[in-house]
Amino acid sequence: MKSFPQERIRNFCIVAHIDHGKSTLADRLMDETGAVTEREKQEQLLDSMDIERERGITIKAQTVRMVYRAQDGEEYLLNLIDTPGHVDFSYEVSRSLSACEGAVLVVDAAQGIEAQTLANTYLAIDADLEIIPAVNKIDLPSADPDRVAQEIEDIVGLDAADVIPVSAKSGVGMHELLEAIVEKVPPPTGEADVPTRALVFDAWFDTYVGAVMLVRVIEGRIKKRQRVKFMIKGSERETTNLSVYTPHQVEVKELGPGEVGAVVAGVKTLSDVLIGDTITTMDNPASEPLPGFQEVKPMVFAGLYPVDAEDYEDLKASLEKLKINDSSFDYEPETSMALGFGFRCGFLGFLHAEIIQERLEREFELNLITTAPTVRYRVVPKKGEAFEIESPAALPEATDIQAIEEPVVLATIHVPSEHLGQVLTLCQERRGVQKDMAVHGSRVQVRYLLPLNEIVTDFHDKLKSATRGYGSFDYELQGYQEASLVKLDIMVNGDPVDALSLIVHRDHAQSKGAELTRKLKEFIPRQQFAVAIQAAIGSKIIARTTVRALRKNVTAKCYGGDITRKRKLLEKQKAGKKRMKMVGSVEIPQEAFLAALKLGDS
Amino acid sequence: MPTVGLYVHIPFCERVCPYCDFAVVAVRKVEPELEARYVAALIREIESRAVEFEGAQLDTVYFGGGTPSLFRPEALAKILEAATRAFAASTPPREITLEVNPSTVERDRLPAFRSSGIDRISLGVQSFDDATLKRLGRAHKAHEARQTFTAARQAGFGNVSLDLILACPHQGFDAFARDLEEALALEPEHLSLYELTIEAGTPFEFAASRDQLAPPDDEVATRMLEHTAARSAGAGFERYEISNYARPGFASLHNQRYWAREAVLGVGTGAWSYEAPGARFRFGARRMNPRDLGAYFAAVGAGGDEGVESEVLTLEQARGEAIFLSLRRRTGVDARAFEAEFGGRPRKFYDEQIDRLMAAGLLAETESGDLRLSDRGLLLSDTVFADFV
Ligand SMILES: Nc1nc2c(ncn2[C@@H]2O[C@H](COP(=O)(O)OP(=O)(O)OP(=O)(O)O)[C@@H](O)[C@H]2O)c(=O)[nH]1
Ligand code: SF4
Ligand SMILES: [Mg+2]
Repeated sequence: MKSFPQERIRNFCIVAHIDHGKSTLADRLMDETGAVTEREKQEQLLDSMDIERERGITIKAQTVRMVYRAQDGEEYLLNLIDTPGHVDFSYEVSRSLSACEGAVLVVDAAQGIEAQTLANTYLAIDADLEIIPAVNKIDLPSADPDRVAQEIEDIVGLDAADVIPVSAKSGVGMHELLEAIVEKVPPPTGEADVPTRALVFDAWFDTYVGAVMLVRVIEGRIKKRQRVKFMIKGSERETTNLSVYTPHQVEVKELGPGEVGAVVAGVKTLSDVLIGDTITTMDNPASEPLPGFQEVKPMVFAGLYPVDAEDYEDLKASLEKLKINDSSFDYEPETSMALGFGFRCGFLGFLHAEIIQERLEREFELNLITTAPTVRYRVVPKKGEAFEIESPAALPEATDIQAIEEPVVLATIHVPSEHLGQVLTLCQERRGVQKDMAVHGSRVQVRYLLPLNEIVTDFHDKLKSATRGYGSFDYELQGYQEASLVKLDIMVNGDPVDALSLIVHRDHAQSKGAELTRKLKEFIPRQQFAVAIQAAIGSKIIARTTVRALRKNVTAKCYGGDITRKRKLLEKQKAGKKRMKMVGSVEIPQEAFLAALKLGDS
Repeated sequence: MPTVGLYVHIPFCERVCPYCDFAVVAVRKVEPELEARYVAALIREIESRAVEFEGAQLDTVYFGGGTPSLFRPEALAKILEAATRAFAASTPPREITLEVNPSTVERDRLPAFRSSGIDRISLGVQSFDDATLKRLGRAHKAHEARQTFTAARQAGFGNVSLDLILACPHQGFDAFARDLEEALALEPEHLSLYELTIEAGTPFEFAASRDQLAPPDDEVATRMLEHTAARSAGAGFERYEISNYARPGFASLHNQRYWAREAVLGVGTGAWSYEAPGARFRFGARRMNPRDLGAYFAAVGAGGDEGVESEVLTLEQARGEAIFLSLRRRTGVDARAFEAEFGGRPRKFYDEQIDRLMAAGLLAETESGDLRLSDRGLLLSDTVFADFV
């Protein structure tokens, strides 16, 4: 790999609201600079995880190094970071920003500015980045680049004339965009001959080499086979491998100031990696580490249990490994009467929870049960100090409770004015209190105080369907507020199933109880005996239903080929059984534990 | 001496019933050329594949379909001759069955079928209620079934089986009970009572998916099954398999081969063969011919094996099959025979499952470890079987 003088290095990330085309734009930039061959091309190439490709979203930020020959005849080294757009992953965005001097702000020419457009722009501004605005998808018939450019000027405060129209689909505008990056993004400023400081801004676990750390060298340089020190963790290592992604992994001998690359330094113990740590060299160590990252606090909690109790240790090891790659989730051991040993995990949001579960299942081949997500409540008991709970099971008896407080968020919702009515109704139903409202042309921004537990699961989907996809929202935690909350318990054939308990608002308890028992009935297959499902508040049963007994289960004909067919069916049935959990004598399938999420769907 | 059963699949039907998922081809009439071509292909297949069962005595023959009785008796006789030759049979097969549908043409051919050596008839009655027959998409009427039965007796068939379907669309319990009485009144030697199965890809499945089939609910269907068991026992029939009932000495020899995991050579489109555990395959093997007539003619019928699917069983699969196929039979699992084959009695492999199923009242166990389904187990047999695969 050729080396470049520092003044010809440009580090930038691409930020936007979800789905505005960041990853597709990264594809085009890689085309334009010849980073990938014709044969390797594929849509959203940087979304390399299976879940990313299936869901069509970016979860992990990714970096690529490209070489671009600019109009001035010089070659530039561009380091691009594609970031996720979903609110749950904004932590990834903040970290990526710390490795850049510039940000390409992408706005969908048909959708205009949305909630994460603003949230991510502010993050970039706070990080002192040069922002290069672009309107994307100008090929769409519904695109209105001029209006959107004006929105960018009005709302974000960037000059509409500087907005570059592009299409990440057709490739229009790539040249202009690259020129703007070269011209406007300042080169990195760190000096080469001072004590080295490199910021670890991402890391993941590789089965062969252990921890791989993505770093941005702020000043000084790191070489292969050099003794280094992790300044916060305090550990010392030797670098065994340095590389950059083009997007292929290419080994390099050193990383100089302003460069981004991956470092392997024989770190096998997971507790030795800290994202936000500073690497310095032993021969000329720096005195102060770089400011790391602010710790993010999980907001949504759920229990994760192995279906097969024997997988508990595996789950524990897998959580540890995944945690290196995603330091934003937390876990601690928890025991459920119904589900046995597992972990209570904290996530940044509901999508984050889903993704973590899916990654554990896929990357570590685990079979898991997730319980319904909940938020962190504050309980004021009649006697003693107030405390926080992250699980309905931890709620004391109602008679011992003075008050329960719930987290409240300030939600910022962007919506075209014709859909405003539906949005207001939705927020009302979710116990929201309107804070203010601002009109920008045909779009409205409303802010609501909403209980977090009303928005964690399906608020986003409901908002999308109420606004035909045009509404978006962002939120931040505001604090706690007292509310009339009760614990809703579920009993299956008389046995309470702690993992199915929910904390709900008293006014919603009756309807939620009825709906939950009905949903559970759909999920619990017929068994050899009738199964009674009851919902209760304290000792009072508020809803009940019954899964009738299975009366017959017979294959009439079993000759010749039927035998093979039957055996395969039975094998499948047995595999399905493995995904069930015995509660008392009742088999409850994995999905049933998430029945609470399906409330309000029918 | 090892034995083998021969299953001959004749895929032609005058029309295709809406619940059927067999390999069938609808033909208004089987033209002599088609018949000759198919017979030649069958014979070719029997001749080329007999080596798979070398040295085996031909024990049973079963002409199934489709509607094999659409073929002329001479054609079936030719197939039988070829089979006897291929297996160098010293004694004739112990049972030769022909599936017959109640129709005039077939009725007239019964004496000739009898003379060709066929000694058992399986008559596809399905129901004695014309409305039900119509809903099942069957071409015949109830009185034709009775006439065909009488004709079979007159032709000298002393072993006749009737097929009935239970839990048909719109069928109530009483309607089914009447069907059963009518069947018993004819005094057949054997009864097969199959609950209607909705097979994937059939018109019935499509109708069922739109709730247009109106089958009796589970409760009623369960009563039908229970009634069948009680009533047929009262009439002197033994329920020797989940869906099969026979007077003493008339259990189907051919069909029992499937549940006893004995060798069967299946020829014709979509036919399955089973090779019992032995020198060629330690735990047995199954194979299926191509279902498509053209593909069959081109490959298997010409001595090749293109389009053939085969499955070599593993030890665990064979053991699971041994259990669930034995449990389908009244005789159940013989612990000693099981031990001789698998090196341990069922308890050795399935101790916890057996305890659980016994506690649930689904399984009965003898002192020596033999296993049988209880009455309740017969109704929930698939639930029981799932524990053994
Ligand atoms: N018509 C058109 N579609 C585009 C363009 N750019 C992206 N898309 C489509 O928009 C959708 C989202 O694109 P992505 O590149 O995955 O968006 P993203 O911003 O990376 O999304 P997240 O990473 O999940 O936030 C995909 O279906 C793309 O094919 C464009 O210029 N024109
Ligand atoms: S007669 Fe039998 S084989 Fe022919 S279509 Fe009907 S059910 Fe199928
Ligand atoms: Mg993306």
